[in-house]
Formats: sequence, C-alpha cells, structure tokens
Amino acid sequence: MVAGETRDPLTELRRGVLEHCVLAVMRTKESYAYEIVRVLSDAGGLVTSEGTIYPLLSRLRRDGLVETTWRESESGPPRRYYRLTNEGGRALDAFARDWTRFRDAVDAVLAA
Amino acid sequence: MDTDVLVRDYLGRLEAAAAALPLARRTELAAEVRDHIDAALAEAGRSDEVTVRNVLERLGSPEEIVAAEAGQAGTPDGAAPASGGGVAGTGSRWGAVEVTALVLVGLAWPALFLPFGLFLWLGLGVVGLVLVWVSAVWSRRRKLITTGTVVAAYVLLVLLITPVRVDCMTGDPPQPCPPGGPVPTIYSGP
Repeated sequence: MVAGETRDPLTELRRGVLEHCVLAVMRTKESYAYEIVRVLSDAGGLVTSEGTIYPLLSRLRRDGLVETTWRESESGPPRRYYRLTNEGGRALDAFARDWTRFRDAVDAVLAA
Repeated sequence: MDTDVLVRDYLGRLEAAAAALPLARRTELAAEVRDHIDAALAEAGRSDEVTVRNVLERLGSPEEIVAAEAGQAGTPDGAAPASGGGVAGTGSRWGAVEVTALVLVGLAWPALFLPFGLFLWLGLGVVGLVLVWVSAVWSRRRKLITTGTVVAAYVLLVLLITPVRVDCMTGDPPQPCPPGGPVPTIYSGP
C-alpha cells in the first residue's frame, strides 16, 4: 500500500494503462519480462518502478490473459517468454477501443 | 565497495517484505528480480557501484514490488487482493454488526422517554458496546476510543439527569440516612 504518497496524475494514469500496454507489447511478438520493461521504458517512461512488472505478469498469468514458455537463452539462465491468449487478445482489443474514446474525450475537453 | 553486497541487501529486503506471500510465489518473485538485475547489469556491460545502484533504483523499492503483488494496491480497477495471498488489505466496509452497534450506542436515547427509560437506554448502550467489540472491521484502538467516549458520555448524562438526594448526609444538622444509604431519584420531567 502506498497510502500517503502524493497523487501525481501521471503516476495514476501510468498505473491504469500499464497492464494493457504490457499486453500490447506481447501482441507484436513473444517477449520475456526484461524485454517488455525495456520497450515500455523506451516508449517514454511508461514504467517507472520496473520491479512491479513481475506482480503484474503474475496476475496476467493467473487471469489467463497470457501464457508462457521457458526457452534457453544464449547468455544466462532460461527465460520465460510471454504471449497473449485469445482472452488476452480480446481484453486488449476492448481496451484499445475504450482508450480511443477516452483519449478523444480528454482531448476535446482540453481543447475547449 | 563490493557491489554484491548492494544486490544481496536488496534481495534480502525483498525476501523480508515478501514473507507473507505463498512460498512458491515468493521464490519465483525473488528469482525474477534476481534475473532482472543480472540482465540489466549484462546490458550495461559493467557492474560498478553507480551502475548497480542505478539498476536497483529503477527496480523500485522491494516494499513497492511486494505491495503490487499483494493486491495491486491503488490500481484504478480496484482488483481484489489475491486470495490466500496473506497480505490482503483489511476490509473497511461496515456490516450489520457495525451499523447496529452505532445505532445502539448513539441513537438509542429516545428510549429515555419510555417506562424505565434510563435502564432501557443504558441496557441498549451496553449491547451496542458489546457489538462494537464483536466487530471484525474496527481496530482495537478504535474500539477502545469508542468505548471510552461512550462510557464517559453515559456517566456525564446520568449525573446530569440524576440529582442524588444527599441532604441526609450533608444537611445542617445532618439527618440520618434512610436504610440503604442515599437514594438516587430519577428526574422525570417538570
């Protein structure tokens, strides 16, 4: 619990969309956790506390939105690769539609 | 500075913070974070103190990671805490016990207008306080404060509405008290 922490709107927004951004990264290609974190960080700081991606991935596995395979890597220990399940794909599609509407609504209000 | 100490210290804090997670998940989480650190250091191509500190800082605090594990605290979708996670937040929603307790200790005063009103009112208040202590929602501290406040309020009110006939002891000259000592009489309106 992070009660008492100042409520930065960007932090809240980031937290709200992170799950679906993670799903979106896996849609393009099967990825391992560190790779997902890198993509999201490079995309303009979508992840700030990188370690919190692991609880998130664990929940996505539990909820059946992603499935994983262990593969050997050329360097270091075997890696767990993540890809979307059909259910994960549907969740991502639904979010993408909601997000477009949400973004347009906020844009419209800000431009008014 | 031995940078291994920094990493070991971080993983130790993670393990301590994750103590309430199920063993399998705790072990998995520790391995994931350790692999993450290794991958980040391999990517950086060096492991001097500044690099290690930077990698650990980017990870976030161990406590923050475990908090995310223990129910995605603060997520806007309000995901429920993982069942059996052991770190479930305390529910704060009031149930029948809480509402009844509050009504009995706070709103039972109209009972004063009924026959034997004072005793009825005090009785209901006592039942209310018992319910306060039965509640699984309120903290012990809160229960103590509530009990203290209610008891103090009751004592004050009873003193206000119960003039005690003490002239048998303090009169001048003092009168003999009736058998049983001073008898409190309940003031029952003008």
